[in-house]
Amino acid sequence: MTTHQPTHAHPGHAHHGAAKSTWDYWKRAIVWTVGGVAAGFAIVFLARWIFDFENLWVPQVYWSVCASLAGLGFIIGIGCFDWWWAYMRGKQVDLEDHSMHGAQKWSDYFRPNTDHKVIGIQYLVTTFFFFVVAGILAELVRLELAVPGATIADGETYNGFFSAHATIMIFAFVIPVFGGISNYVLPIMLGAKDMAFPRLNALSFWLLVPAGVMLVLAPFVGSFSSGWTAYAPLSVQGTTGSTLFEVAVQFAGASSIATALNFLVTIMTMRAPGMTVWRMPMLAWAQGVTSGLVVFGTPFIAGSQFMTWFDRVMGTNFFNVGGGGDVLMYQHVFWFYSHPAVYIMMIPGFGIISEVVAAFSRKPLFGYRAMAFSTVAIALLGFGVWAHHMFVSGMPAWLRFPMMFMTVVIAVPTGVKVFSWLGTMWGGRLHLKTPMLWAMGFVFTFLIGGLSGVFLGVLPAVIHLTDTYYVVAHIHYVFFGGSVFTVFAGVYYWFPKITGRMYNERLGQIHFWLTFVGFNATFFPMHWLGAVGMPRRVADYDERFASLNLFISLATSGMVIGSLIFFYNMIHSWAKGPQAPWNPWRARSLEWLVSSPPSLFNFDAVPQVVGGPYQYGIPGARHAVVFAGEELGGGELVEHERRTILVIANESVSSAALLEHIRERANGHWRFTMLVPVEDGNVRAAERRLQQALSVLAAEGVDANGSVVSGDPLSAVRAAVADDEPTEVMLVTEPLGQSRWLNQDMVDRVRKATNLPVNHVVISAAEAGRPAVSKAVNTVAVIANDGLSGDGVINAVQGHADGGPVAAVILCPLSLDGPGWTDDAETVRDAAAGRARDAIARLQQAGIPARGEVIDGDPAEAARIARDSYRATTILVASVAGRGDADVVETVTQAAAPVPVEHVFVETAPPAL
Amino acid sequence: MATDHALAHPPGAVPQKKPISQGVLAMLLFIGSEAMLFASFFTAYFMVRYNVAENHWPPLNQNGEPFELPKVGTGVSTAFLVFSSFTVWWAEHRLKHNDRKGLERGLLVTILLGITFLVAQINEYAHLGFTPADKAFGSTFYTLTGFHGLHVLVGLILLTICYVRVKRARDFTPTFSTPLVMASIYWHFVDVVWVALYILVYLV
Ligand code: HEM
Ligand SMILES: [Cu+2]
Repeated sequence: MTTHQPTHAHPGHAHHGAAKSTWDYWKRAIVWTVGGVAAGFAIVFLARWIFDFENLWVPQVYWSVCASLAGLGFIIGIGCFDWWWAYMRGKQVDLEDHSMHGAQKWSDYFRPNTDHKVIGIQYLVTTFFFFVVAGILAELVRLELAVPGATIADGETYNGFFSAHATIMIFAFVIPVFGGISNYVLPIMLGAKDMAFPRLNALSFWLLVPAGVMLVLAPFVGSFSSGWTAYAPLSVQGTTGSTLFEVAVQFAGASSIATALNFLVTIMTMRAPGMTVWRMPMLAWAQGVTSGLVVFGTPFIAGSQFMTWFDRVMGTNFFNVGGGGDVLMYQHVFWFYSHPAVYIMMIPGFGIISEVVAAFSRKPLFGYRAMAFSTVAIALLGFGVWAHHMFVSGMPAWLRFPMMFMTVVIAVPTGVKVFSWLGTMWGGRLHLKTPMLWAMGFVFTFLIGGLSGVFLGVLPAVIHLTDTYYVVAHIHYVFFGGSVFTVFAGVYYWFPKITGRMYNERLGQIHFWLTFVGFNATFFPMHWLGAVGMPRRVADYDERFASLNLFISLATSGMVIGSLIFFYNMIHSWAKGPQAPWNPWRARSLEWLVSSPPSLFNFDAVPQVVGGPYQYGIPGARHAVVFAGEELGGGELVEHERRTILVIANESVSSAALLEHIRERANGHWRFTMLVPVEDGNVRAAERRLQQALSVLAAEGVDANGSVVSGDPLSAVRAAVADDEPTEVMLVTEPLGQSRWLNQDMVDRVRKATNLPVNHVVISAAEAGRPAVSKAVNTVAVIANDGLSGDGVINAVQGHADGGPVAAVILCPLSLDGPGWTDDAETVRDAAAGRARDAIARLQQAGIPARGEVIDGDPAEAARIARDSYRATTILVASVAGRGDADVVETVTQAAAPVPVEHVFVETAPPAL
Repeated sequence: MATDHALAHPPGAVPQKKPISQGVLAMLLFIGSEAMLFASFFTAYFMVRYNVAENHWPPLNQNGEPFELPKVGTGVSTAFLVFSSFTVWWAEHRLKHNDRKGLERGLLVTILLGITFLVAQINEYAHLGFTPADKAFGSTFYTLTGFHGLHVLVGLILLTICYVRVKRARDFTPTFSTPLVMASIYWHFVDVVWVALYILVYLV
């Protein structure tokens, strides 16, 4: 498989030969940023001096200009305009300049890059950074609200906390994070080699950086109290914090508009041949519609922020009633963007959920066209409901009814979507992998959020509920339980594609459950608090709300711990996770038909789309044909969608014998679904063996995925046949007489149940224990003697196995004083060998391949053997707690260098000999 | 490269129709976005004018007299701007006939007309006798015209870039002139906005 390398020769184009180092870009960015601030000062000062203003020093004017020019300076300095600058001066430039394309080393991610995949990752990492910042601010809000009265913050500081929390979450996380996901996957889904305007794409990302930084700084420079809605007149009275907010919103807005234009043009013009709009994946519909909202809506928030800004720094009278202004006008202009904006933050998530739900239900998306139309309908109707945020603002009374009516109407297309997801799941074979858990969790929480929205939309209720915690509950059910859940679904779903590695499924599920439970425990009670009258955006509250508020503040810990686990899982799996196959989910859309991660220009040749993207379970249906590169087929078009062999194996699944066999069969054309049926055995062990097998195969370039299923082979086969349409079944058993499956006549029964040829592979128990040697499997050497007897060693090795596939080597050093052939020595040696054998057996039972030997020599000798003969990547030294073995660890560490050595204390005393 | 394979598609492949150039498409969408920006300021203008001032327009200034706008002088500069729309169209038209000198001249005249408009606008500001801080009237007036002026400036920069490309890089042919088309569409847009603005703010 030709992956990871650029697959095109572009004669005449420089390929990532950026002569400048990343640090050079940053040096220039720093100079230009500082220069921007200085220029801002100079310009304002000179202008006020020349035009003879009475007051030379008006701080907000200076801050406004300085912040704007600093942001501009940064993006110029970092190099977003280098190419355009050459173009403007009339230089001969290459329109297809790829010199900034692709990342070869990690530092390439820190400079402007024109590769949509790099930009996607830049977006994702940056926005998740802001997610953490805003999350910390949320915890500060909850800390203040944990008990009544002012605790950690006074009113002003508290206002800063919640304002910054919301603005960072909305403008620096939720809106752009979808840009990140779609940037990465959408061009590939459409069969394009990049976005329509790669340089504009880079600019969009770098515009976000100054915006985010200014939003983070805003609460610290003071007086940033008016929340994310920044209502006049409070925002007009604000000072530096509000100024930074207003400048930041302009940058963030410009960034979103630029990305949206890019998505729209990409979707309209760069679809692969055969991809009609009705064959586009739902994410493309969603992102296209969202981009439309951004392009036509965002200018309104820009306008509203310009006006508050001018009111404050130039003394204009837009919102000053005394000067003939209209204070309510702010809310009209703001919500005319910001109601559509809530859909900007939700519709891409709808798209992600559609992808995930269809792939993990193994059924075509229910009502594809209804889904597409409802997306468009939501967007159009979304422009007609803005004043439902203003029911009690004193707006003209005649506006109330139409707004209420439209709001309730919008719930209809939203309902269509929910039913469509449920319809897709209905009767499907649900694979409850982490992305699917998030998707199902999303449908549940979003339903609650949509329903509470309807209450807020109808006049009799909203007049009572507005500005209370009920609204806070609603927005979190739709933002967190809605948008953020879909982000998690998407990140887990595409993690293997983006990083080329698998995340840890177990940690992913723990993350989901902690967050799901923590989320509901935190936000559900807020409905109640709001209904009984607790106001929002106030630092203190009445004594009678105390107990629920304390409960809520404590309940947030579920989400905090969940997030920590998430970040650990992402970082650790990205660095060390097992290699991912091309298509771990057996999904149909185009991004899964290329390598993980995809090559520099995604496709070796333009793919041909021949059907819809969600034809799961429909015999013979396919979405697209992808062609192999020249170096594979020599210009001949080779079909890349391979046929599937179903492999059913038990203990032998990770054995060298089977994997070798599979590798030979694969031959570049076949892919494998491995099923490990567990009837009453150890599921965890089976999972470890399977992970081992998949990692080894992935490292060999064999496309394989699989799952552990409970039940007998027959039922597993039936489900899988419908899922994957395999062309052949490979049944792996022990020899006749030893195999329970053979005793049950499984070969014949499988053949009858599937109507497929069954290839029966026999692997003896001895062979089943021989582990595969592969660079994908780390070897953990255990140097222990007495320490072997407890569970300590086993647990430590299992801990390593949870991080990625490992094979264990047990080395039992025996340095006997005196001659080694005496009876005494024999007994000691036998006992040691017995312990080692026992440990090996227990490790194998846990699904970890293990072997070992008794070594005549001291632990240092064993360490050298572990390093040189077994090529161990980690050495564990086990000693019984209470014995002073520090010097042993010391000598082993020295002998084993550079292999890392860990020390394990074993609690249980060794059994008496 | 990728496109070579496209030719070699298996039978039944859908041939790609020649789409509208991506740059022009993006520019049209961007103009939609820009139009919405002006729409937001016009919203402010109309709300102030019809809700708050209840159509007592123009309102009275500090001295108790109604604000006054120079309808005639601005009318003349409006004519300049409208005329420049035709000159840029003419420049493009000359390119179609492969007349590069005509293209250059057309662009140059357009740029000069644009500059004339901007200078006239600044001159108008200097002689209006009220500032952005004078009532909501001044605020909306300066914001609308100021933002428009900025757009004229951007349009001029785009046209100047095109001019530089024509002179220095010998860019644009009768078959490929996307950047030029983008700049000229933008210029027409700036024009149209001005005509609307002149009618709504100065005349009615
Ligand atoms: C069926 C769908 C929905 C309906 C009927 C609905 C209705 C409403 C209404 C009437 C309000 C105003 C409450 C008040 O301030 O008195 C509101 C507030 C809000 N909604 Fe929704 N909503 C829906 C879906 C969503 C979605 C999908 C999102 C975002 C992803 C969202 C985000 C918000 C936010 C952020 C606010 C609070 C704004 C603020 O004052 O800070 N809503 N919703
Ligand atoms: Cu709304």
